[in-house]
Amino acid sequence: MENRDELRRRIKVMIVENLMLQVTAGEIDDHQPLFGPGSLGLDSVDALQLVVAMEKHFGLKIADQGIARRVLQSVDTMADAIQNGPPANAP
Amino acid sequence: MNHRVILITGANGGLGQAIARAFLNESPDNFLWLGVRQRRDAAEKLAAEFPDRCEIAALDVTQPEAWRALVERIVERHHRLDVLVNNAGFHADSLLAQMQPEAWHGVLATNLDGTFHGCQAVLPTMISQRHGRIVNIASLSALAAPAGQANYAAAKAGVVALTQSLAKEIARIGITVNAVCPGFIETGSLAPLDTEARKTMVARIPMRRVGRPDEVAAAVRFLACSDAGYITGSVLKVDGGIL
Repeated sequence: MENRDELRRRIKVMIVENLMLQVTAGEIDDHQPLFGPGSLGLDSVDALQLVVAMEKHFGLKIADQGIARRVLQSVDTMADAIQNGPPANAP
Repeated sequence: MNHRVILITGANGGLGQAIARAFLNESPDNFLWLGVRQRRDAAEKLAAEFPDRCEIAALDVTQPEAWRALVERIVERHHRLDVLVNNAGFHADSLLAQMQPEAWHGVLATNLDGTFHGCQAVLPTMISQRHGRIVNIASLSALAAPAGQANYAAAKAGVVALTQSLAKEIARIGITVNAVCPGFIETGSLAPLDTEARKTMVARIPMRRVGRPDEVAAAVRFLACSDAGYITGSVLKVDGGIL
């Protein structure tokens, strides 16, 4: 299995490159929220792009919005989903 | 861009045929997928004329699964999809008071739902490419809302609104979404008009003639080309000046 730090680094690079952010991958904290207050400042269109990019780069298919919300909380939760599979959607 | 992969729905009709020819003439490297439902004679003729540059695909635009399967097939083969032209549509005119529910739902399903399903099906590929062009064929009826076309006018107005909303959502990703509103165009849909009705219709057109399918196709091709890269959410009338 891929080293967790290396995986998180690759996720950060993917985020910066796909969303054309004005920060570097190194400036993103592993647990920093992606959305909402104190976050990286992403929005729903960014989330859409991340869902597509996760499948393209890591083969992770995110089936619906509910699961996407849980996966796309931080770089760390994205790494979890890539390594362990996406969480089941809450009923 | 030299090599483009283009999907056109409603490719058997007069307008679909003209749009296909416009893209075939644009570049010898363009490859066209011709989406057809029941009738496919004209599409087959075109595919026979350009056997290495066209493929016919059965597609019921009202079925999201059919869309998914077709886009998957296209991407498997070309690893890309550059242009979608949502052209499939029909009208079933009557006064609203007499309109059968089937006429309402059928027109909405093909014209509006079909456009929705098409856009949704191509988006993952276009987002992944960070490039794409979507051109939705609406109608002057969307803007003029003529009597006797409540279903068609509502569907096409929906197409215009969908176009403008989606354009805003995905502009930053490099995907443009535009609509073309043809007026009276010389296609099979004008065939039922008798001479008097045709005269009355032409008298309403400032240019005093109906449009040719290739004149609509030219607008579609332009909106899909690289020169139109900064145009998105636009609604282009091709109507001889009626509105």
